[in-house]
Amino acid sequence: MSRKNRKKMDPRATWPQPVSLEERARILQFLEERFGFSPEIFEPYEFLATSKNYWLFVRTPYLGDLEKIKVQTAGLLFLRKVSGYLKPTTAALQRFGRYATKNLLELDRLTLDRLRLEKKIPIELEIEPGYVILKCEGQIWGCALYLPGKLISYLP
Amino acid sequence: MAETFELADRYFERYQEIIPGYEKFLASLAEPLPLYFRLNTLKLKDPESVLRGLRRQGFEVEPVERVPWFFRVEPREASLGNTEEYYLGLIYPMTLSSSLPVYALEPKPGELILDLCAAPGSKTTQIAQVTEDRAVIVANDRRLDRITALVANLRRLGVACAVTTVYRGEQFPMEVSFDKVLVDAPCSGEGRYRKGYEGELLYQKEGRTNLSGIQKGLLVRAYDLLKPGGLLVYSTCTINPEENEAVVDYLLRKRQAELLSWEAPLPSHPGLTEWQGRPFHPDLKKAKRFYAHEIEAVGFFVAKLRRTV
Repeated sequence: MSRKNRKKMDPRATWPQPVSLEERARILQFLEERFGFSPEIFEPYEFLATSKNYWLFVRTPYLGDLEKIKVQTAGLLFLRKVSGYLKPTTAALQRFGRYATKNLLELDRLTLDRLRLEKKIPIELEIEPGYVILKCEGQIWGCALYLPGKLISYLP
Repeated sequence: MAETFELADRYFERYQEIIPGYEKFLASLAEPLPLYFRLNTLKLKDPESVLRGLRRQGFEVEPVERVPWFFRVEPREASLGNTEEYYLGLIYPMTLSSSLPVYALEPKPGELILDLCAAPGSKTTQIAQVTEDRAVIVANDRRLDRITALVANLRRLGVACAVTTVYRGEQFPMEVSFDKVLVDAPCSGEGRYRKGYEGELLYQKEGRTNLSGIQKGLLVRAYDLLKPGGLLVYSTCTINPEENEAVVDYLLRKRQAELLSWEAPLPSHPGLTEWQGRPFHPDLKKAKRFYAHEIEAVGFFVAKLRRTV
């Protein structure tokens, strides 16, 4: 890439802020109620917030020091705030989805391939509508939204 | 092609005295580089499902006994980037020797670590893996387009202990001091050269860059960013002593740095204490040279240093 075509640093790049204890409790409650994630899994981590996202970042006494440098990203993009709901990211589920005990949807290869291709498939499930974790042949693939009668893929 | 072979032979002739088994080295350049990947243990501790999946797709996969979590793959000309295992972040394709700087760094949970030239992230993600996502890693690269690849790899592997920054390495802000700094410096890449397959020889490039000048600037800044007693690892994938021992020697003359010995999982040779009549600090024998034909991977140089004051 020639020098003049190189990307410039985003001038808006700023540190996301650690969430309050109340906000953390709300996030953990959502993760436990929807997916059965034990809060202990996230004990070594902080949740950092930007306007539309929550990031997971290792808990460290160095956080204050690190805020002196200008960052592009901090930690793992974990949850997105979508129309008042929290949607876990593919990256978050591929890393932590194996600890989930609820709303884990096991698909066979054919159904997964169809969902990836068509993005939305008709399906009837005995679960409460909302986000689900997609699993296939032992591996966690990511997130989908179940609405009565249909499954919508959020796989990239 | 014959011309390429002759040029390469002539190019490496100047290293004839320092490369052990020189004829074998030259012969190895005619083969494409072996292909390896690291299993991402942040997601998976048992490799079986990955091995089964890759074998089903026609790959031959064997564990590397001397380097835990690394696997060698054939056919080596194939790409792992299109596999499901890659997409799910279960594997990180990287050359075997690229793991060596992290061995020298010995990262521990809780440490504040700077990876000064981090993109595309093989070593950053390896540090995260070794520390179970518990070190605090600042992964820096001077170019935003390279940071994009780094961020994608951190996300793909599910790393939550890293921040990414875009600074010129030699101007990284001094506001924060680190327990450990890794400088995997931009280099001429002679260690990855394979005739007609991979890499290019420095003299073939137009507008030669002053690489050793850049490397010296990076290393001195990296040292200055350490806490007293902090550890610094300098690595390149080149054979050229001007980019290796001469750079470390420069730091030893400018700062109170101390060279340390370290245990490597692959066969190595001591760093040089003299090159083309020019003496280097005698402790440079504690640095390690890894040659491509002996380790069946990219040739590497790794030096481990401590800030004394």
